[in-house]
Amino acid sequence: MMLIAGTIPSKALPLTTGKAVIDGDSLMVNGHRIPCTQGTSAMVSAALQTTEYLKVEAPQVLLVGDTGKGNGSRQMYEYLIENVQKLTPEVLALHYCLPDMALTRRLCEAVKKCAKRPFMIADAASMYAAKAAGLAPEFDIFTPDATEMAFLADREATHPAYIARHLFDIDVKQTPKLVATAYQYKNAAKLLLVKGATDYIVRNGEILATVSEPDVPMLEPIGGTGDTITGMVSAFVHAGLEPHEAAIIAARANRTAGKLAQATPATRVWQIIHQFPAVFKENLCQWSGVCINP
Amino acid sequence: MPLFGKKKPSFEGGGLVLFLDVHDAMHAEKVLKAADYAVKLVAPPPELRRGCDLAVEINLVEQPGIERVLHEKDVPFVSVSPIKPGTSGILEIVKVTDFGDWLMVKAANMKLSFEKKSGIIVNTSGGGCPDIPYLHAEMIGKRLDEAPRPRDLGFTLCALMLDRALDESLALWRGGIKT
Repeated sequence: MMLIAGTIPSKALPLTTGKAVIDGDSLMVNGHRIPCTQGTSAMVSAALQTTEYLKVEAPQVLLVGDTGKGNGSRQMYEYLIENVQKLTPEVLALHYCLPDMALTRRLCEAVKKCAKRPFMIADAASMYAAKAAGLAPEFDIFTPDATEMAFLADREATHPAYIARHLFDIDVKQTPKLVATAYQYKNAAKLLLVKGATDYIVRNGEILATVSEPDVPMLEPIGGTGDTITGMVSAFVHAGLEPHEAAIIAARANRTAGKLAQATPATRVWQIIHQFPAVFKENLCQWSGVCINP
Repeated sequence: MPLFGKKKPSFEGGGLVLFLDVHDAMHAEKVLKAADYAVKLVAPPPELRRGCDLAVEINLVEQPGIERVLHEKDVPFVSVSPIKPGTSGILEIVKVTDFGDWLMVKAANMKLSFEKKSGIIVNTSGGGCPDIPYLHAEMIGKRLDEAPRPRDLGFTLCALMLDRALDESLALWRGGIKT
């Protein structure tokens, strides 16, 4: 089972667990309608499109409303700490939340007690908390963008707002240098998918692949287009692909979907997500050898 | 095997609110706890000490929301600082990318994009804190000078960075956009 956990920008959504389904530009979970916008809902939607296409089990989701005060985030962490051994997810993907170092530490301790350790993926503030608490090596995949890569390379910063100016200023072509520094300080997961003009797929410090085509620079301003990559990576890993293959395919699929959607900075992320089935149908067999009969 | 293991910390905030006066620190702790923030009174390290021997440890990510509560409750404080020595100051600079009809302004991990002609916010991206998707929904489709301020609606450093991006966007739009 794959479990995706994260917050939703709602003041009313209680801690909710179950299966999600896509309904137009929204997600439905246990009768709750959640707009598919930037954040965990974009990640879940991308994962759902992927598992549906691959005909594998859809992700279980753990969602909670939180508009920034952190109460929902703390409920989410506590639920996971209490239940992760019982839930026994094969893949645990952590996403938007108020980053909390002590709770992340307790969660990692709880995960270690699982009969079989889940494959751990973190993006957004779950990744910030893991790095800030010195727990990055406990994770299997991080999916930072260029600024977040600079954050991972900053030895002291506990949030990207506090990264050193020279790291923020660094040219994106210097990403390999940031990657090396992040691994040197043990601030990186085993595998990194660094999202940018060129996407870097890195395993234990070694750059395995880069993806730069198709070049769709207008994806960057669209809120949620990083979240969709993380959703697809999680789903491909859950389906049995090697993590680096999952990362390469997710990066390619996101770019191709952006191209198909003729993305502009005004495009909404659900318009990108709706392209994924066509992208998979056209390319997945060639990219990965995963050929699905209709 | 040792009888007593090292106690695991129940709270790791990463930030300190510094005060001139012990009374202010104690008052701040009370006010922040009442506002549902996880905080604790600590002795600041010598290099951060500004006035008194007491500080309030906070989750640094919550700095903007905590500063807002302290201002609202008239609790004086000197500054908020990361605990780790050697941490840089908060990022002040922004980067601007021209997409033809649109401009994207980036402050740290946050990006705001608007249509040059109308000043309408068409997207926000980046970040990872729970107020960011909320602000995304609240800001998109609004003109830069009519949009809610992330510093007013948000609680986290991600929101503060989005506010920086909004500030710069407003300045560029009002100035006729010359980048």
